[in-house]
Order: sequence, then C-alpha cells, then structure tokens
Amino acid sequence: MIAEGQIAPALPALQPGKPNLVVFFETDCPTCQITLPYLNSLKDSVNIIGISQDDESATREFVTQMRLAFPVEVDRGLKLSRAFDPQSVPTLFLLDKAGQVQRTVVGLDKAALNALAADVGRPAIAPEHDGMPAWKPGCGSRHLEPESKNGDGDSSIHFLRPTAERASRISVPDDVDPVEYSIDHFGDALPVVPPTIERVQKMLAACSVPAETVIARVPPCYGEATVEKIAANAVMAGCPPELMRVLLPLVRAVCDERFNIHGVQATTHFAAPLVIINGPVRQQLGFWSQRNVFSNVARANSTLGRALQLILLNVGGGRPDGIDMSTLGNPGKFSYCIAENEEENPWEPLHVERGFARDQSAVTLFAAEPPRGVSEHTAQRGKTILKAVAQALATVWSYRLCGRNEAVVVLCPEHVKSLHRDGFTRQQVRQFLFENTGVPLRHYKENDNGEGTQLASTYRRITIDGEPCYQKFRALESLHIVVAGGTAGKFSAVIGSWATGEQGSQMVTYPIPD
Amino acid sequence: MPHTLVSPMNETVVSASAPPARLQSLSGKKIGLLDISKPGGSFFLDRLEKVFRERYHVAEVIRARKPTYTKNAPEPVIEQLRHADAVVEGLAD
Repeated sequence: MIAEGQIAPALPALQPGKPNLVVFFETDCPTCQITLPYLNSLKDSVNIIGISQDDESATREFVTQMRLAFPVEVDRGLKLSRAFDPQSVPTLFLLDKAGQVQRTVVGLDKAALNALAADVGRPAIAPEHDGMPAWKPGCGSRHLEPESKNGDGDSSIHFLRPTAERASRISVPDDVDPVEYSIDHFGDALPVVPPTIERVQKMLAACSVPAETVIARVPPCYGEATVEKIAANAVMAGCPPELMRVLLPLVRAVCDERFNIHGVQATTHFAAPLVIINGPVRQQLGFWSQRNVFSNVARANSTLGRALQLILLNVGGGRPDGIDMSTLGNPGKFSYCIAENEEENPWEPLHVERGFARDQSAVTLFAAEPPRGVSEHTAQRGKTILKAVAQALATVWSYRLCGRNEAVVVLCPEHVKSLHRDGFTRQQVRQFLFENTGVPLRHYKENDNGEGTQLASTYRRITIDGEPCYQKFRALESLHIVVAGGTAGKFSAVIGSWATGEQGSQMVTYPIPD
Repeated sequence: MPHTLVSPMNETVVSASAPPARLQSLSGKKIGLLDISKPGGSFFLDRLEKVFRERYHVAEVIRARKPTYTKNAPEPVIEQLRHADAVVEGLAD
C-alpha cells in the first residue's frame, strides 16, 4: 500500500492544487456501507473520489442506497486498486495539495475519521453514540483475492442503507376487532394498543427524525428499525409520544455491537436487556426510581421497557417461540426498566461514573438475569450489609464459576444511608464487594465436574475472613452500583449478567438528547 | 369503516439462498466441523471426526472454531469452511 508521505499515483478525477480524498470500497462490504455515508459531510471541504471495486450496476445501486453525495467511479480491471494497493476496504487516502498521502484510514475507525475531518477543517463526522462501533475491520481488497470478483456485482446485496421504505398499511376488516387483530399478529402474550395511522403519526410528530430513517438493524434477523417502525411498536406498548426521545437512543444502544443483542436474544440463558435511566429525563418524562421500581408502578418505565421488547420481537425477530431459545426465560422480557434514585444517592450516579455529566440524561443497558433479593434488616454496620450483598454476589451465574461474570448491585436507600453514615464512598463499596466476594476452596472437590470446577486453576486466590477462597469477580469494573427503590425497607438486589466482555455482552450507556 | 394499521413488523427484504444439493455419500468428501467454542464441543467433534474418517471414509476434515459462541462466526472462520462439501456445526454444550 502506498505509504503516508508518498506521492499518490495519477488519477484523472484528482483536482490538482487541492486536497483530495480517494476512497476505495466494495459494494457488499458492511464496513464500507457504514463508513462511506460519514464522508458526505466532507464534500464541500475536500474533493472526494470514491473508487468502487465492483461493476457499474452494483456501484450505481450502492450510491443510490447509501445516498452518497460525492462522485464515484468504477475501478475497471482494478488498475487503481493495484496502483494504490490498499490491503482491505474501505481504505481512505487523504492527499494534500501536492498530491502526497497525508493520512490513511483503514476500515471503520471513528477516531481516525474525525482526525481526517479536522485535517480538512471540519468538525467531527463520526459521533460516538450513533450505534456504530468505534472500530470495525473491513473486507480484503478485491485485487488481492485469488480470483478477482470484479465484474460479478451481486444485485441481491442487502445494503446497510440510511433510509428504508415506509411501513406497510394493513386494512383490518369492519367485523374484526383491531385490538384482537393486533394481539394475534404483532403482540407478545399481552394485549397491545392497535398502531393506527393517527396514533403512529402522533409518535412521529414528537421527534424530529424523518419516519423512514433507519435507526438500527435489530438482530437476530437484522430488521431495519425505522423511526416509523419504532413509533408503531411504541404505540402498541402504550408509550406516551414524548418517550420517542428515549426510544431512539435506546434502540441505537441495544444494537451497539458491544452489547451483542444478537447473542442476548438467542441464548438459552435468562438474559434480557435491563434498561437503567439516569439524569433529568427521569423527572421530565416520569421515570420512577423509588418503591416498586422493578414493577408495575410507572407508565414511563413499563411502556419504555415493553416497547423495547416489542421492537426486539417484531423488528428483530427474537421470538420466544422461535430464535429466542431461553430455557426458562425472564419476566423482564415483558418490560425491564428502572431509573436510578439519584436523590437518595449520596455518591455519583451510574451515568456519571460512566463518563457523562450529571445533568446529561442517559440510558444504560445490561444483559441481565432477574433481580435476586438481599434482605439485611438487622445489621448495625455498613460492612455487615455489604457482607450480605457479597454472599448473594457469590451465587451469580453458578456458585463455583469465578472470573467470568458481572453484576449490577441495586442498593436500597436505607442500606445506602447506613453505608454513607459509616463513611463508605461508592468506590469503597465496590472495592469491599470485590475483595469480599469469593467461593471457599473447600467447595471444590477432586473429581467433581460441577460447573466452574474445571477452570479453578485459572482463578485468583484470596483470603476472606481467614478462609482461602477463589475471587468471584475478575475486576472492580465487573461490579456496577445503582441506588434505587423506596425509603422504607432494607432490601437490596443483585442482578447477574450473561457472558461478558468482548466474548459476550458489554454494558453500554448512551446519552438521551434534551 | 375498516381500521388501517401501520405494520410494526420487520419488512426488510432479504434474498433467500437455495440450499446446496444434499450429499449422496460422505465418501471422498471434504467435511467441515465448526466448534462454536462451548465447553465440551470439541469432545463431540473429535468423535465425529473419527467416525467420519473411519466409517464414512471422508477425504478431508476441516476443523474450524468460533472465537466465542455468543457471536456470529467472523469472516476468517467462514473462509476456512468455504470450500467444504458439508459442514457440521455443534450448537450447544
């Protein structure tokens, strides 16, 4: 590949004396489909030349579907590809006025795209929380393939297009009750509000994004979640229209590759996305954070959680009688949404710990088991409360499996008050739980093949209250502390995770716009 | 008057691919075995490989492994299996 600092090969479309951006791509490469639309906003600052490694018809279709606003030419015989020699696509070569390669961007790399934008005097073009990954490798360049596929443009490519057709209209005959029709055709097992044109229109009027905009592609079937599809499901869930403000970032977040909803929706495990709301949006839209926070107390919590589930079912196709293979399921698959009780939290709330300002509303997702209760009414000291929590934490996933999982610890206000009185900071709570959650070595017997025992040689040994134990969690960051619930009652909760980290699901937090 | 509803269902058009012709015999064929990296999967696939080789006289067994069972197979894994006549994927523990 030609290196930075080298003079680029000649290209008829290059504008001499100006900066040029040469972009190699393939039409069927998902990373190219994600990357190229970002470049539209640079078209007035740099001469962009798209170079397609596919044939004329596939290229034309790509330009239309991806709504590219800059010229694209077909690399006939892959001559330009051989001259520039990108190893993979997309590869972007930013050439300075002298025709020297100033910057190269390979694959989808948001930081590099934003640096490239800065090079040509533009603000960032690839936002952090638009649902696309920060980095994604592309596909091998066609000219390096053993048999060149140039010219076999596949007309059946499904593009990751930014907009889609409007939703179909369904006419329900006079003698059919639209509620019954909707339950039979689009529901989970509960009744839904029929998504009439008028109701969907009210939802659409509450947000400024056009109805046909694709917000995300929802696994496992990768259905296009247009704003209109999201609105129709929000109507069915009973959402007030104002919730569209939260639903759009929520759908982006749930489809963020780091969260891995594909796996969460298909696993035999209990996991369901737990939605945690922080910031001023709680008061603005009525998200509840106090007593009965996990249950049937507030329209905002219940309908937002249900709308997400209906979108996962209807647009994503993760149906409980189909691809969703969960052995026992999870009541959270009807709705699983809480808000943090920031007013009873003397420490920083979850979204602040995750890098947002306190006055920025945010939504966090965690691939979660149902909550398991921790009752501790007799403890005199904060440490004793945390010991009770640690004992519940030791049972996450499977008692003897260590170092693989994470947990959300939901501390109730009364427990928080005792901990704060005893001088615990949030970080100290986490540290204490990390250091005091373990499984005694005596529970691992020779020739016992129980889950978690075979991996014991990889576990970290610690001592808890004089007893040798394996440490339950891999890192401090495996524990997420949230304050929620009513001010009466000393009941906290521990919520176990599904598979975690890059091999499973990672917690994601997205900002909610004002 | 009939009610008109807005479809909340997935309407994304995807092109279906026809399944390849069923193999009439395993003899002399190239068979891919995909381990999705669930615990215990390799024991089952090891046994299957032995059976394929000894009882069904397959010409070649390609062993591929996903980095994690929680996600789709990445392109390099698919590439390994691309030229197999048939693939067996072990799905669970």
